[in-house]
Amino acid sequence: MKPQVPASPLIESMRAFAANRGALVALVVFALVAVASLLAPWVAPHDPVLQYRDHMLAPPMWMDGGTSRFPLGTDELGRDMLSRLLWGGRISLGIGLASVILSMLPGVLLGLLAAFHQRALAPVIMRVMDVMLALPSLLLAICVITVLGPGLINTVIAIAIGALPGYVRLTRAAAMAEIGRDYVTASRLAGAGTARLMFAAVLPNCMAPLIVNASLSFSSAILSAAGLGFLGLGVQAPTAEWGTMLASARDYMERAGWVVTLPGLAILVSVLVVNLIGDGLRDALDPKLKKAS
Amino acid sequence: MSNDTLLDIRGLTVSFGAFRAVDGVDLRVANGERLGIVGESGSGKSVTMLALMGLIDAPGRVQADKLEFLGRDLLTVSPRERRTLVGREMAMVFQDALTALNPSYTVGAQIAEVLREHLGLRAAAAQKRVLELLELVEIPDAKRRANAYPHQLSGGMNQRVMIAMAIACNPKLLIADEPTTALDVTIQAQIMELLLRLSREQGMGLVMITHDLAVVAEMTERVAVMYAGQVVEEGAVPALFDAPRHPYTEALLAAIPEHNHGAERLAALPGVVPGAFDRPSGCLLAPRCPYVAERCRNDRPPLAAGVRCFLPRGDQP
Amino acid sequence: MSELLLEAKDLARHYAVSQGLFQPKAQVRALDGVSFALRAGRTLAVVGESGCGKSTLARQLTLVEAPTRGALRIRGQDAARADHAQIAALRRDVQMVFQNPYASLNPRWSIARTLDEPLAINTKLSTAERRERIGALIDKVGLRREHLARYPHMFSGGQRQRIAIARAMILEPGIVVADEPTSALDVSVQAQILNLFMDLQQAFGTGYVFISHNLGVVEHVADEVMVMYLGRAVEVGAKATIFARPLHPYTQALMSATPALRAADRRTRIRIQGELPSPLNPPSGCAFHKRCPLATARCAAEAPTLREVDGRQVACFEV
Repeated sequence: MKPQVPASPLIESMRAFAANRGALVALVVFALVAVASLLAPWVAPHDPVLQYRDHMLAPPMWMDGGTSRFPLGTDELGRDMLSRLLWGGRISLGIGLASVILSMLPGVLLGLLAAFHQRALAPVIMRVMDVMLALPSLLLAICVITVLGPGLINTVIAIAIGALPGYVRLTRAAAMAEIGRDYVTASRLAGAGTARLMFAAVLPNCMAPLIVNASLSFSSAILSAAGLGFLGLGVQAPTAEWGTMLASARDYMERAGWVVTLPGLAILVSVLVVNLIGDGLRDALDPKLKKAS
Repeated sequence: MSNDTLLDIRGLTVSFGAFRAVDGVDLRVANGERLGIVGESGSGKSVTMLALMGLIDAPGRVQADKLEFLGRDLLTVSPRERRTLVGREMAMVFQDALTALNPSYTVGAQIAEVLREHLGLRAAAAQKRVLELLELVEIPDAKRRANAYPHQLSGGMNQRVMIAMAIACNPKLLIADEPTTALDVTIQAQIMELLLRLSREQGMGLVMITHDLAVVAEMTERVAVMYAGQVVEEGAVPALFDAPRHPYTEALLAAIPEHNHGAERLAALPGVVPGAFDRPSGCLLAPRCPYVAERCRNDRPPLAAGVRCFLPRGDQP
Repeated sequence: MSELLLEAKDLARHYAVSQGLFQPKAQVRALDGVSFALRAGRTLAVVGESGCGKSTLARQLTLVEAPTRGALRIRGQDAARADHAQIAALRRDVQMVFQNPYASLNPRWSIARTLDEPLAINTKLSTAERRERIGALIDKVGLRREHLARYPHMFSGGQRQRIAIARAMILEPGIVVADEPTSALDVSVQAQILNLFMDLQQAFGTGYVFISHNLGVVEHVADEVMVMYLGRAVEVGAKATIFARPLHPYTQALMSATPALRAADRRTRIRIQGELPSPLNPPSGCAFHKRCPLATARCAAEAPTLREVDGRQVACFEV
């Protein structure tokens, strides 16, 4: 036995993650962004939809003509960029989180059911997922929005539907690999029913690829929301959302670059940071750590 | 250095950081000789041979006073020269044939690859030799089997294929690392016979690494017993088994069910092999040895007259 | 004679294997008619090589699968035709110890959780009572109570097997099926684990079905021995009888193929050629006839059944 404090696999994974500098920094940055966005109602200097007609396209404060009243400048309708970015963060990150939860929960359940009912349910579930995977995710999202109508909630639903097949496949593959192992048979012999086997015995051993996928689809959701917003199909004006901010600022790229650059940077940084966290998680949860000592 | 010595290892140490997986091991194999290396998990027996073949990667470090094969110094040999030795004059057979063989190529292709790399044989000449080798290792229906993939063959067949690859270039030394552990008893017997026959017919030296003392008793002429990275006893077979001198060898023999005919309980050494973190400062067996004395706890016994012990068994009145 | 725990009569398990889109399904006779009895406190060793059906037998005995044919009675109750509720009850009486100690414990569960599961599902004991029972058993298998909070990856192979044995014994089952429980362990650890098996059998009176290909281990632990080949029992009898005078050519071949430390123990090698036949394509008549030194024309045509010869059962025409 190792002569150190006995740690659960969870704590050991956390330690491994913390050892990865890049991932740790990314986590800190992400936490900052998330907290700032969460506290937007108290931290933002202005109302995000309030238009200051006499300060339209004001530059950020480090450029000529900028003031500290609008630290990051204003957009084409005179709305404070900083406030819009902060409030927009709530939307974008919120969409990311909500869509991950909305796709992961049913996705994991369906994947487990497919793994445990190989003959009955699996063919049906997997074929439906195959059909869904055949459509490009953005196209799928556009179809869903067309049916349901644009808006925040429907954006989340559309993105979640697009991410669902990925979770189902991942969970099924991971679960099938575990089902054959002796400890599952041992639980069966102890009298565990299918539900207990699925959730208590097998699922905890499938979490690694799922968690990694969750972080990656989080960033992908931010991008999709931005894309849909860019197309005018997602969150509607005047609500601040990074993608819609990008869309409406298209024409002002030369005159007032910050109106485009800043929301673009926000998207870039968020996606990058979440991807780095995802990479760090993948390394930390690598099955090698679970091997025999 | 006599021409007769195939392998000459002195003071081999393989360390991973502060941990010595192999600690000061001496081994010699003469031409055509069959040596057995016996040990349990953590004994360092496999690592010793991997070090020999140059298969220890960083952070592992290989040091030795002498590591010579056919008179060539394996510590300072260039990678190019090593390639002419390893796989050609010295070959290795592993435990699990199915994972040691490439699943995407036919067995014939894999044997042919060895022939191409080391002997430069191509096309027809290679094909002919492939069939010869398959017949040499007693694979029936060789022509058809050459086109089979590893997963289409049984464990025993795959092991024979591995042996064919190993002897393809008529090596002077064959190292077999637990070659029969994963096989059924009757197949194990066939493989053991095959290895013995090849060793005798081709005049090939054989190093047999195993945890099974009975296999060593039937196949080898000399044996080295390893414990926690050190050689604790070496000697001729079967003399060593008839009268073991190191307490560990004695305990190992006593633990075998066959040695406990009719006894209710098996004689078992308490405790486990010391791992990386709990190495005793004295004799490595001291915490478990039934004959331990004060001296054993403080000093490390040297290997003297084939036994690494301050109080060898059989020296008692 | 102690209580009759397990009785198998002509137990068989066939699998239909798809041969391709337009071919009829092939029948794999993994288990093809096995009969034996197990009494409390006794050990029946099942000996055989790959493909002999011992894993299938283990699955039958632990009620993971229903048999295709034949009867299985556990303490007199018909297990082959039991319904869900009855199987759940029978489960408490048959447990298993697996071969690979590195795969038989849930890596995400603490040892306490692993040992608690059978109790939580099958008994109405309170948390405190369960904890006490687990603690007592952990002591019995040679580990310490502080180990209960730890996770499998912190233990060696031998320790994991001890935990697996504790798990099997926690419900105090009448029958434990041990599937090559020491094959993956070193010799000295094997000795410790075998001693543990024997001690527990003495303490609880459990009947063991001990599957092993290691004849040395079998000779040590078994009371009765059943030798299997391609789904059938070829020789069944008391250990001493079979080891002293094996009659079936396959049993003789197995014993002679086992390497022995002392030259005096070595039996004359009976060389059998070839490999185990594929269960998809079994030979006609006696499954062993193609490799048997005593085979005759009759052996190729007819499959022998077990008959009493010299104090044990043998399935062979030529002995």
